[in-house]
Amino acid sequence: MTFSDLLLQQTINGLSLGAMYALLALGFTLVYGILELINFAHFNVFMIGSFVAMFTLQSFGLSGQSVVLTGLPLVGVLVAAFIVTMLFSGGLGVVIERLSLRPLRNVKGPAAMITTIGVSYILFNIVLLTVGADSKNFPNPLPPIKFQIRGAVLDMRVLLIWVVAVVLMAGLWAFVQRSKMGKAMRATAQDAEAARMMGVEVDKVIIMAFFLGSALAGAGGMIFGLYYNFTSFIIGFTAGLRAFTAAVLGGIGNVPGAMVGGVIIGLVEAYAGQFIAAAWADVIIFSILVLVLVFKPAGLFGRMAPSKS
Amino acid sequence: MITRRIAGQLLAATAAVAVANKVGGASAEQVVKVGINLPLTGADAESAVRIQHAIQLAFEDANASDAVPGFRFEAVSFDDGTATAGQYDPAQAATNARKMVSDPQIVAAVGPQMSGSGKAMSPILSEGDLAIITPSSTNPDITNPKFASQYRPAGKAIYFRTVTTDAFQGPNMANYMADNLHIKTIYILDDSGAYGVGIADAFQQQIGKKGVKVLGRDRLDPKAADYNAVLTKIKSLNPDAIYYGGVGQAGVKLAKQAYDIMPKVIKAGGDGVMSPELLTAAGFPAAQGWYATQAAPHVAGDNKAAQFVAHYKGKYGQSPDDYSITAYDAGLVIVDAAKRLVAEKKQINKSNMRDAIQTAKVPTIQGTVMFDENGDIKDRTVSVYQVNKDMTKPLDDVSAQYNYIGVAPQS
Amino acid sequence: MPVSAQTEQATGRTAVSRLARPFVAIPVVWRRQILIWLVLFAALLFPLYHNNDADIDAMANAAAYATLALGLNIVVGFAGLLDLGYAAFFAIGAYAYGVLSSFQLEPPWSPFWAPFQYLGLVAQIPGDGNAMVVHFTLSFWLALPFAAALAAGCGVAFGLPTLRLRGDYLAIVTLGFGEIVPIVVRNWSDLTNGAAGLNGVAAPHLFGWSFGVNATPYYYVSIALVALLVFVSTRLRDSRIGRAWMAIREDEIAAGAMGVNRTNYKLLAFAIGAAFAGMTGVFYVAKLQTATPEMFGFPVSVMILVMIVFGGIGSIWGAVVGAFVLQLLQSWWLEDLTGWLNSLGVLIGNNWLAHIDLVPSIELIFGIILVFMMLFRRQGLIPAYKPSEALTFEQQSAQVRLGGFEDLKLSGLGGDVRTGALALEIRGVTVKFGGLVALNAVDIDVPSGGVVAVIGPNGSGKSTLFNAITALVPADGGSIRFHGEEILGLPDYQILHKGIARTFQNIRLFPNLTVLQNLLIGEHARLRTGPFSAVIRPPGTRAEEKAATTWAMEILSIFGNRLVPRANQAVSGLSYANRRRTEIARALASRPRLLLLDEPTAGMNPAETLELAGQIRGLKKLGLTVLLIEHKLDVVTTLADTVYVLDHGEVIAQGRPDEVRRNEEVLRAYLGRNVQAAHAGEAVGAANVA
Repeated sequence: MTFSDLLLQQTINGLSLGAMYALLALGFTLVYGILELINFAHFNVFMIGSFVAMFTLQSFGLSGQSVVLTGLPLVGVLVAAFIVTMLFSGGLGVVIERLSLRPLRNVKGPAAMITTIGVSYILFNIVLLTVGADSKNFPNPLPPIKFQIRGAVLDMRVLLIWVVAVVLMAGLWAFVQRSKMGKAMRATAQDAEAARMMGVEVDKVIIMAFFLGSALAGAGGMIFGLYYNFTSFIIGFTAGLRAFTAAVLGGIGNVPGAMVGGVIIGLVEAYAGQFIAAAWADVIIFSILVLVLVFKPAGLFGRMAPSKS
Repeated sequence: MITRRIAGQLLAATAAVAVANKVGGASAEQVVKVGINLPLTGADAESAVRIQHAIQLAFEDANASDAVPGFRFEAVSFDDGTATAGQYDPAQAATNARKMVSDPQIVAAVGPQMSGSGKAMSPILSEGDLAIITPSSTNPDITNPKFASQYRPAGKAIYFRTVTTDAFQGPNMANYMADNLHIKTIYILDDSGAYGVGIADAFQQQIGKKGVKVLGRDRLDPKAADYNAVLTKIKSLNPDAIYYGGVGQAGVKLAKQAYDIMPKVIKAGGDGVMSPELLTAAGFPAAQGWYATQAAPHVAGDNKAAQFVAHYKGKYGQSPDDYSITAYDAGLVIVDAAKRLVAEKKQINKSNMRDAIQTAKVPTIQGTVMFDENGDIKDRTVSVYQVNKDMTKPLDDVSAQYNYIGVAPQS
Repeated sequence: MPVSAQTEQATGRTAVSRLARPFVAIPVVWRRQILIWLVLFAALLFPLYHNNDADIDAMANAAAYATLALGLNIVVGFAGLLDLGYAAFFAIGAYAYGVLSSFQLEPPWSPFWAPFQYLGLVAQIPGDGNAMVVHFTLSFWLALPFAAALAAGCGVAFGLPTLRLRGDYLAIVTLGFGEIVPIVVRNWSDLTNGAAGLNGVAAPHLFGWSFGVNATPYYYVSIALVALLVFVSTRLRDSRIGRAWMAIREDEIAAGAMGVNRTNYKLLAFAIGAAFAGMTGVFYVAKLQTATPEMFGFPVSVMILVMIVFGGIGSIWGAVVGAFVLQLLQSWWLEDLTGWLNSLGVLIGNNWLAHIDLVPSIELIFGIILVFMMLFRRQGLIPAYKPSEALTFEQQSAQVRLGGFEDLKLSGLGGDVRTGALALEIRGVTVKFGGLVALNAVDIDVPSGGVVAVIGPNGSGKSTLFNAITALVPADGGSIRFHGEEILGLPDYQILHKGIARTFQNIRLFPNLTVLQNLLIGEHARLRTGPFSAVIRPPGTRAEEKAATTWAMEILSIFGNRLVPRANQAVSGLSYANRRRTEIARALASRPRLLLLDEPTAGMNPAETLELAGQIRGLKKLGLTVLLIEHKLDVVTTLADTVYVLDHGEVIAQGRPDEVRRNEEVLRAYLGRNVQAAHAGEAVGAANVA
């Protein structure tokens, strides 16, 4: 394996990770852009998404690595599982907003953020106490196709991650930019009060942000499962933290920023594992975060909306 | 003691005890309380519960077979996992040690799961002269005579192990890989935990001495999901083998991703990868071919372990892991100690139990357990196993899917 | 005015004193003291009447968490800085003592170590082989201040680059720091013994007697630490330092405008919080005699946060109670509760109850506690702020008595007035927001002792002018001289130090604080108390506080009986006009030489407007220089000597009020705008001009 092949392989690794972080980061950014709220519950919405995806796939008779599908059945099963997972996670996000965050909408200070930490604990422990602590074998219906690009290997699953991530992000981008609801979301992010006065139903916008963000997290959870063929109650924290770092890095509240931030964090993690040591990956990621924030407090791409302090 | 003899007597004994209880009344029996300290909440809860079940099983079996006539064993569980730490918490372990010491009815203890807790508990237990048998904490410091004044200020050994320390399992496997597998180069990983780092350190030291080139050493974050970066790097170094010190949490992901990236490289670990979790969560083909070690001799043709597995599964509906066996054995040691005290007409109290445990010579699932003057298990045989898929047996059955290969050479 | 008694009363009515109803006959001031002494007494006797080593140990652990909660309370509760990585400082303190009192580091002996040996910090012992090595033997008692200082230093080093970040960003950066420290501890195994944990950390010694493993002496040390830190926290809170923190928490911009150096005070909060954690780390590791990196992870930081949220953010006793309740719940009570429930289940034959085990659900229970507290009792068990006491009927219905200046001393307000000299000299000041020019080469003179008004349509740049003077927005050119000294480029808090105080168009008071506290924060720049004198409270500091309060009450009396009876009410409960008055009073409390008033009469009815105009005139008579933004032209006419008219960021006219009123350009700027505005249905400014 030549050095350039190695670099290529690590870039592929990093981009796959980055795509996943980006999907998660979008959820943080959507909610933050509108509510200025760090949503720690998002971590475990992602985790629950992966379990929902697992149960859905198992209900199609898939388990472990035993059954491989191809062609239309594969696409059908995957699309169905994605839809179920995203609807469930999106719904979970809406329930969280409705029950625990709406009553705190107009409360200043960290109350809402602390609530999301509490919700996160609740979700985490519900899963722990019901499905148990051991790692789960996530069904893998994908055929084991590998493409050789010079010395590097590109797995079919990696392609799937990229395709799904790009489709979802492009869809989100189009939604935010083109649709009426998307415009309302951007308006609310700029100035919720003004948007309300102009007839935007802010409650609906917020619910939409939670639904979309959580649905994307659910999709991220399913992609996670398909890619690593495993899931566990504990996956939310590290992935969520890195995704959040990605969102801040790109400029929280900024949708393209979250995508780019995710990719950067993914690449940093891969290159750190190659050139320094996996043991120091977190230290490197957070050091980059601190440096970026110190020199560019609004993140690499700045906030989409001006600060509402 | 779930030997064939006992297993055969089990049904009859249960019936007999039931009758005896009805006749003699429960009040005639004296209670021997045994404290169990395990992180029953938090990140390590799953394996802790497996250990807890095994200990309870040992005492239930003893009670059922009336192993010590006139005495009934009762396990009292203490949780050293806290929400504050999110996992095992040495501070809580110290509190639990005090609870055990101050309870006159508790005469022996089993635990802890983690060496970090053991370090906090050991001085307190020493002052209280309460013996504890750990089925799983393998950090050698606690029983190292160098730290005797720290970990047993009262002098006598109180920290006993039915598991060998990292100081043997890692090096012996290093010998095996160098001598028997003839590897020339290796890359070493650990999972950040005390057990994983300890065993990988000990392995690394010995394999270097054997002239195998260590291409690198890195550390996996057990909570992270993606080890592709470090595995790609390892692949580019083209080692003959990788050695992983650690338990299932990171091990499962490592097995899966290592299989994808370098299916042909020899992969080995300690007893941490000899678990049903590797078989179920990593599954086949990822787990296929992994080497694992167990710090006990393998008795050919003896199906004690298989019987234990069946017995355990029947009771709890889940597969035991390696530490369930050492935990059950710890229970057997305690039952045997009490039995000898009764035979010698000595009082069953903390000090006498400690002395009796010190002089144990108990046939268990893993062979005859004896302790040296520091509390370490005397038998330091390290057995090597390799995963080989056997479709005729349950795929999560450790005793069926791990094939015994041989004894790892001692240094 | 018995002010001190009133402030005691203000802090005295909390949940704790509600428990003390039987003591109702005892004077309010004493009730709280009695309760505190009772609690302390019970705490001291606890090991004697509850002779259970494990429970004493659990209490000592809980006390350790109480000290951590007290430290985080300073950072999060007082200064409002959300720190999600607080356990990192706990780790730093723990490992500082752990490494320096165990056999972890054994460098070869050299004469370099001889003086340390003399001081008893190291010992010479035989190492592996025959060479002598150094054994570190840092005493526990020395380690406490040492670790506190080390942790504080780390807090400052980490805070310097990051504390200027907005709240949420700070949260995530601290979270990252909290993740990094345990990783470094784990990977730097030569220093820390890595994941295996430290071996042989020495137990504390006192007069040659080792604490060993007996829980009781540790318990007393922990209680002493809690008592000390409660004392320090209380003293800091009720001082200039604490007020500055709370000002930052309530409104950073207003805090800066009131002369609070935000960076320094945030760093101070971070450092003191870190010092508390460092000390606790020493205690914790000495008690356990080992430390592993897992003891300091993210869950620990979150749990400490949960403790202060549960107890009441910003509440000192809340932090203590929160820590004790949650810590004992998991280490002590939950097990007992499970046992009782099981026995109850057996008794009543309920199988579910007989086998329920609450212990594994502890994290779930904490999550639920957190959410429910936030939704239904955000102020926590012991709220930091009591609801304002209602005014008596007499006070409420008292006839309005206008303030006057006749019987007021107000010594030093305004400073020396040299007529003819210029107080403020603005030359060519330009401010741009991206492409928009908000101020374009503005020149304004404010003579010493005069009242100058700035008028202009909405969006003409008046408030931007104030913001440029007070350094809230950077100017893109020009010069601003104050009594001959260039002030452009100074940080915002320095502007107040120079003697320029301001009010804000949309009122920026510190809403949860009382009127009096708001004024005392106004005096921040004129007081000297530092963190040490705040804690020790030497006579000089006491005198200063007393004088500060007297001065604040004098300022309040400018507004007659409107504010004085409400001095101990939270400003969030005041009427709009009273909040305007409080803001002016807060600015005056800083003893300014120049007062900037941004639409002081906005939202007041004609009578109140007239009253305030009279009061401003009174200030002028005292020699205070005033620069005023005002829409109500009649107010401008009666008050101002000179009027500047701004439009589109430029001065379009200046002169005496009556001259300006007739200026055609001014009329066009106002009326032209109004004609257009009328079409858009917006006629806000019209009435004022006409």
